[in-house]
Parts: sequence; structure tokens; C-alpha cells
Amino acid sequence: MVRLDLLIPGLSAKTDHFLFGICTLVLLRDGRRNILFDAGAYRVRGALIAALKSRGLTPDDIEAVYMSHLHWDHVENVDLFRNADIYVSRVEYDYTAAIAPSDWGTPPFVREILDGLRLVLLDEHEQEIFPGMRTISLPGHSAGLQGLVVDTEHGKAVLAADALWSARDIVAGKPDLAFFNFEQGAASLTRLLKAGDIFYPGHDRPFRLDNGRIAYLAQNTYRLRMAFQPDGDDLECTLSTAAGA
Amino acid sequence: MHAFDRGGGVTMTGEITPLFTGCPASADGFWVGASTVALYRADGRTILFDTGPYAYRPLLLGRLKRLGLTPADIDTVVLSHLHWDTATNADLFRSAAIVVHARELAYAEKPAAHDWATPPYMARALTKLRLEPVNEECEIAAGVRIVELPGHTPGSIGLLVGRELLAGDAVAGARDAARGRAELWFADGAQADASLARALGLADIIYAGHDRAFRVGPPVAYLGDYALRIRLFVDPVGMDQEICIKAETARSFATWPE
Repeated sequence: MVRLDLLIPGLSAKTDHFLFGICTLVLLRDGRRNILFDAGAYRVRGALIAALKSRGLTPDDIEAVYMSHLHWDHVENVDLFRNADIYVSRVEYDYTAAIAPSDWGTPPFVREILDGLRLVLLDEHEQEIFPGMRTISLPGHSAGLQGLVVDTEHGKAVLAADALWSARDIVAGKPDLAFFNFEQGAASLTRLLKAGDIFYPGHDRPFRLDNGRIAYLAQNTYRLRMAFQPDGDDLECTLSTAAGA
Repeated sequence: MHAFDRGGGVTMTGEITPLFTGCPASADGFWVGASTVALYRADGRTILFDTGPYAYRPLLLGRLKRLGLTPADIDTVVLSHLHWDTATNADLFRSAAIVVHARELAYAEKPAAHDWATPPYMARALTKLRLEPVNEECEIAAGVRIVELPGHTPGSIGLLVGRELLAGDAVAGARDAARGRAELWFADGAQADASLARALGLADIIYAGHDRAFRVGPPVAYLGDYALRIRLFVDPVGMDQEICIKAETARSFATWPE
């Protein structure tokens, strides 16, 4: 059994000033190794280090980082993990040699980010990379997106990253953001929903499906402070996914 | 519209257009990094000041497009400093001269251990571009000067257009200007305070790194309002919640001392 620890829940929010890009980051522990699922956007770099620290860990203690795909908001902090094997889909990695001009999600300098790290390129065939952790190929959102199906004491958890951007993809019956290939993305969405019992979307809270109803397992709340008054108090507001907050 | 004299009595006109108005926001679980990005256009020149965090990328392209511009139309990009939230999209501007202080570039190759804001891969990402490092203050277009404002980082620079200054984080916001203290610095606090004082002396109008543009005064006075709209959902079946955070110029200065 793998212990699954949500370090940073994905945030289902958008603004008119910037992209949040706060994606789900999970620590997986099989009793022998510390494995990180996705590395997150630069914005959460401090929060990620703090989340590891609160579990008695530093980035140096991470033995493996599993990269679902190479979009900016998943890869910007991967350079922190100098001691880790970095698992990346070969299709995804090869794609970064010639990124489509319309694809603004994959940084053209992603190979500079990965420079000096120990890469392990994964083929498309699905495999158990560690006991209780199987890769699942979910292309569409990006060229070679791969999720992970993990055996936990609560059932099979599907770490879907942006193949399931949020629970709204299920409500809509189609992927919200399949900007590499829509048909592939739609097929991946259908497939991942059959692959387990608990779902970790890329940019939403983890949930179970109770007779088709979405039951969230976590919420996130952030406090924002705006120093709008040079000589006065900050304006504070709360950003929360919890009902009634 | 700004008018200035190019010596010899020829008056040029140029215009600063903010593409992103910086926001003095902080949060408890992530870095906001809502920095100022601005365009300066005059006499056939199109200069971009800072490029923002990656989180600006599609919006930056959209805002340029709305002005009838593509990245290829930018002839010069000035990077105030090499932080994650100011210099990340420079790679979009492959045909532009990328102006950065030589000291900043050298520093970014090996950022200090405590410096959480300079991505360790920033310098590597920039080497593919047409870099034009500067070692001293200089004019990069008629009446447009690079000024050295170190302290926030080792090689922070600003762009002085007449008496208007694109300051980067040497002037993070009006609060720092009012207090005469640069609150957030990574290289040298005393130097950052000195650069802030110099910036306030050089300009009448400052485009701050993380705030709205303001008139130096006294009294300091913002030039415009700011609003941030956030949408999120609690229930995936329900409607989005919408939050609008507004800073209105008049209200912001309700308690401003004369």
C-alpha cells in the first residue's frame, strides 16, 4: 500500500490578471521512497518547500519526481530535486524539441529547466514503476501526458493531472483544456474515470464519485492581502473552495 | 502622452502604455508576483519593459495583439532584473535586443542560496536570446535612459523617459515611496533604500514594480484605479463565484497625509 499525502491541492480559480497555475502536488510514500507527483509552478515554490519541511523532508530527500507532463505550471520547480530520478514520458520529452507555435503551455526553455537533472524517460506502454504505482497514458491535454494509478488503503487513486483539469470535466462530459488533441483528451477522460475510485484532478480538489455525485476530500483556503493604501491598512480577502466560507 | 526634447530643439513624442498594472498583493500559500509590464513607443521604436511571470504569457500575447503588435514588433526588451515574475517570458522576443545589466546576468548564473526569486535556470534560458548586457547608464533611444538602481537585486535597472520612470522593483510600490524604505530586497538593503531615494528624485511619475503608477508629489497620488477579478467554483455543478477586489484612487488616499 502506498501512502498518499496531498501537499498542495489544485486550485480551480482563474483571474483576469494572471493564470493561477496552482496544480495538485502529491507526496507518495511506499515505506522506502519519497516520490513527488509533479513539481508545480514557480508561484508555489516556497509553499512546496514548506509543505515538505512540515513532513520532516527537504527537496534532497525526494528520490523520484514523477512529471505528468511538461507544462509550465507543473515543471517550474523540478530543478529543486537534484537527488531524484525525474520520470518523464518519452513522447512528452521528445515533443519539447519542436514545440507547436500555438502551444504556450510548454516553456520553450523546458530543457534548460531539466538540464543537469537525472531523467528517466518512460515509454508509452503502461508499467508499474514502483510497487503499487502504475503509469496510465492519458494524452490530449499535452502530447504525452501520463498519470499514475496508486494502490492506497482507500482504494485505487487516479492521479490524473490535467487530463482531468477539474471535476467540471465530468459534469461537462468533455475535457476543459485539451489543447494538444481534443479527441485524444476525450478518450483519456473516459478511460481515467474507469481506472480507480478516488480522483486527483490537475486543478481541483481530490474527490470520490458517490453514485455519480462528486464528493470532495479536501478544500483549500487562501488569504490575500492587498497593500492598496500606502498609509493605511491592507485590504484582506479570502479565497476559499469550502462551501459557506 | 509624454513630450521631451531631443536636443537641438526637436521635440519627440513617446508613449508609455502599461500592459499589466502591478498589484501590491501577497497571499499565505503562494507568491502572487503580479508585476508591472509596460510598453514604450516612439519614433519607430517599440520597447518592452519587463516580461512578467510565465503566468502572464497568453495574456501578454493577447494584450500585444490588441495593440496590433506581435512579439516580432518589439525591437528592445529591457529586463529590470531577473526574477521569476519579471523576466520569464523574454524568450518570446527572439528578434529583440534583450537589455539587462551585466552584473545581474552574472549573478543569475549562480543566485545566492537565500534568493528564492531568481530561478536557477533563468540565465541558461536567456543565453539563446540576443542579449545586450549593459555595464553603465546609457541612452537606448532618443531621450530614453537606462538608470542603475541596485539593491533589490545586484543589477536592478530602470528606464527613464523624460521625468517618467519605469522602476521595476527598485520602487515596488507607493507604500515604499511614502515610507522611504525598500521593504523587500535580496542584495543590499542600504543600497535598495538609496536607489529608492534616487528614483524618487529622478522622476515625477513612477511606474512601480508591484503597484499602480503614481505621481511622486508630495503628496503621492495614484494615476488610476485597479481591479482584480477572480472566479472559482465551490460546487462543480453550480455557478462560479466571482470576487472583485478594487482599489479606487480616491479611497486609497482617504487617509493620506497632506
